[in-house]
Amino acid sequence: MAADFQLEVEDLRFRYGSREAVAGVSFAVRPGEIFGFLGPNGAGKTTAISCVCGLLGGWQGAMRFGGETFRPDLRAADRRRIGLVPQDLAVYEELSGRENLLFFGRLVGLAGAELTAAVERALELTGLGERADDRVGSYSGGMKRRLNLAAGDLHRPSLLILDEPTVGVDPQSRNHIFAALERLRDQGRTLLYTTHYMEEAERLCDRIAVLDRGRLIGLGAAAELAEQAGVPGADLEQVFLRLTGHRLRDSA
Amino acid sequence: MKLLRDAWLIAAKDLRAWRRDRTGLLFGLLLPIALVTAMGFLAKVLYGGGGPMGRTDLWVADEDRSEASADLLAALRAAATVRVRPGPEAEPLSVEEVRRKVEDASAHHALIVPAGFGEELAAGGLPELRMIRDPGRRLEDTLVSLALVQAYMAISEGRSWPAMMGRQMEALGLEPEQAQAVVAASESVRALIERFLPGGDEEPEAGGAEGGAAAGTGFDMSAFLTGMVPVAAEDIQPPGRPKELGYMQAQSVSGMVVMMLMFGLVACGSTLIVEREKGTLTRLLAAPVSRDSILLGKLFFSAAVGLIQLSLLFAYGELLFDLATFRDPVTLLVLMLSLTAAVTGFGLLVAVLARTQKQAEGVSTILILVMSCLGGAWFPIQLFAVPTAVEVIMRLTLTHWAMTGFQNMFFHQKSWHDPATLPAVVVLWGFALAAFLAARAIYHRRLASAS
Ligand SMILES: Nc1ncnc2c1ncn2[C@@H]1O[C@H](COP(=O)(O)OP(=O)(O)OP(=O)(O)O)[C@@H](O)[C@H]1O
Ligand SMILES: [Mg+2]
Repeated sequence: MAADFQLEVEDLRFRYGSREAVAGVSFAVRPGEIFGFLGPNGAGKTTAISCVCGLLGGWQGAMRFGGETFRPDLRAADRRRIGLVPQDLAVYEELSGRENLLFFGRLVGLAGAELTAAVERALELTGLGERADDRVGSYSGGMKRRLNLAAGDLHRPSLLILDEPTVGVDPQSRNHIFAALERLRDQGRTLLYTTHYMEEAERLCDRIAVLDRGRLIGLGAAAELAEQAGVPGADLEQVFLRLTGHRLRDSA
Repeated sequence: MKLLRDAWLIAAKDLRAWRRDRTGLLFGLLLPIALVTAMGFLAKVLYGGGGPMGRTDLWVADEDRSEASADLLAALRAAATVRVRPGPEAEPLSVEEVRRKVEDASAHHALIVPAGFGEELAAGGLPELRMIRDPGRRLEDTLVSLALVQAYMAISEGRSWPAMMGRQMEALGLEPEQAQAVVAASESVRALIERFLPGGDEEPEAGGAEGGAAAGTGFDMSAFLTGMVPVAAEDIQPPGRPKELGYMQAQSVSGMVVMMLMFGLVACGSTLIVEREKGTLTRLLAAPVSRDSILLGKLFFSAAVGLIQLSLLFAYGELLFDLATFRDPVTLLVLMLSLTAAVTGFGLLVAVLARTQKQAEGVSTILILVMSCLGGAWFPIQLFAVPTAVEVIMRLTLTHWAMTGFQNMFFHQKSWHDPATLPAVVVLWGFALAAFLAARAIYHRRLASAS
């Protein structure tokens, strides 16, 4: 089964103190697919991702990567297989875009010509152009978002995890990010993608996991989800509300 | 009206936030309280009861061993400005022994009462005393002079007052005959005073505290007093020390350097908190680097800034004050490294303990100011007689050891491996090591509990 899945997560649980943020989630990501993580605020998406990225330790359950035991919280080498684009902007405002990319590139172990090439590729991806050497503090929100994205993909990790990369950007930046992600997909890269935007998920994702209150309440391609939800042919927005919008369903 | 209402809305919101912000409270209220308490307590300890100023150590060697010399020592013990060493019960020291003390900087003033002192005094003369001293200890010199004048007057029961005045008159440029006339006049005044004050209980020169004020008007009280009592001074100071460098100056330059370094490096350590607050720590933690490397990165950053800051400050101090800073570069480097290590450890400890940047700032400011005060960075607290409890607290501050090291280098011209300096170096590294280990343990525990 090693070749079938890249990342496998089994019965993942994590609690902040007494609050169980992730309560037994299982899913597996196939090589070369864009896997969507959908769910309302507080569903546990970021928490689950943080476990996969090694930001959080002390979770329960099992993870495998390429068929092997995966402990990103304990092993730095395991963390290198994953690239993270955090939900909150995580770039240094005092440095230039290029300096940020150089720093994060070095942090994942790139050097020399490889580093230079990675930074050039990332700058192209961000479309920062001649602003690359300006301080990030002077960038627009969209520019920062694009930089935030590029900084996570410098070493072309086996799995790139994006936590709501299009939050708070204008349609132009959003389209730019979209185009970039589609290009990555066409290159055969594997992505795990979190979002609130249904049309994004529908357009990009091969399969989608719907999370609510720390539990998985649906998993499959958009059409499969519609069938699971008992609304075949409906669009993802309807499916999502059907699955998660308890109050709406109750009042209907 | 709308303007005022809106302003109040905003103010009320801010007040509410402020009330919830424990750091803000700490900063705004507790800091001044802590400072006032510390300073008030210190002032009470230092200046309360025991006279206008603290006492300074005066070592004595009595070669005369007469009744008069014993009286002189007793009078010195009664003086408010000095603490005569060795104590009355302890074994008396020889001239050689007290000289060695000044030479190795464990004493700054040593008084020698020469043989024949008692006889000459009984004959109505002004027998000369000898003083072995460190000329850089100007503040202490004044205190010692005050005590000497007091004691000298006391043992001669005022009889030597006219002779002392005469000495001063001559020193000020009067012809010997004129001086003689002044002496005669003083004699008659004294006789007059004695007739009306049968107790003869004079309070000689009680205005010691005014000495400083008088100096401000251009009249050097210290020089005047020193001139009154015949003392042959022998100055002993380390050959490398610049002539102009006083103890207080060395103290205040080192003190400000130490304090500013602490502020600087706490800010460096706090970048760990800033990264957490800004989200960039997430990236660092998700990167394929060990957790320790992140903490160590902060340590290196802080240490580098510390060494740069110290180099700049000392170079600046050297330009401004001529401290002979670079006389012993190895010792300077050892002290700089030790201090930077200790302060970096302190900064990291603050950074891993504090929940927010503001909290780190507030707590560390209080700690730094209190430690600076107790450690002698503001004024030479080590020269004052403080109760044992305060002494113990002083020795618990890293500032105290830093100041000890720097004073030994600047003023006493000692190298880093001198028995007086080595303990300071060792203690600073001890501080550093303990702080690093504690910071690391807390950092890992915090990461594991993931907040
Ligand atoms: N550091 C934390 N300490 C305590 N509770 C937390 C912490 N982070 C998240 N939580 C809680 O865990 C639950 C899941 O949060 P999480 O951020 O994983 O949700 P999410 O699906 O990413 O939401 P969003 O769409 O808003 O980003 C929420 O109830 C949240 O309040
Ligand atoms: Mg989230």
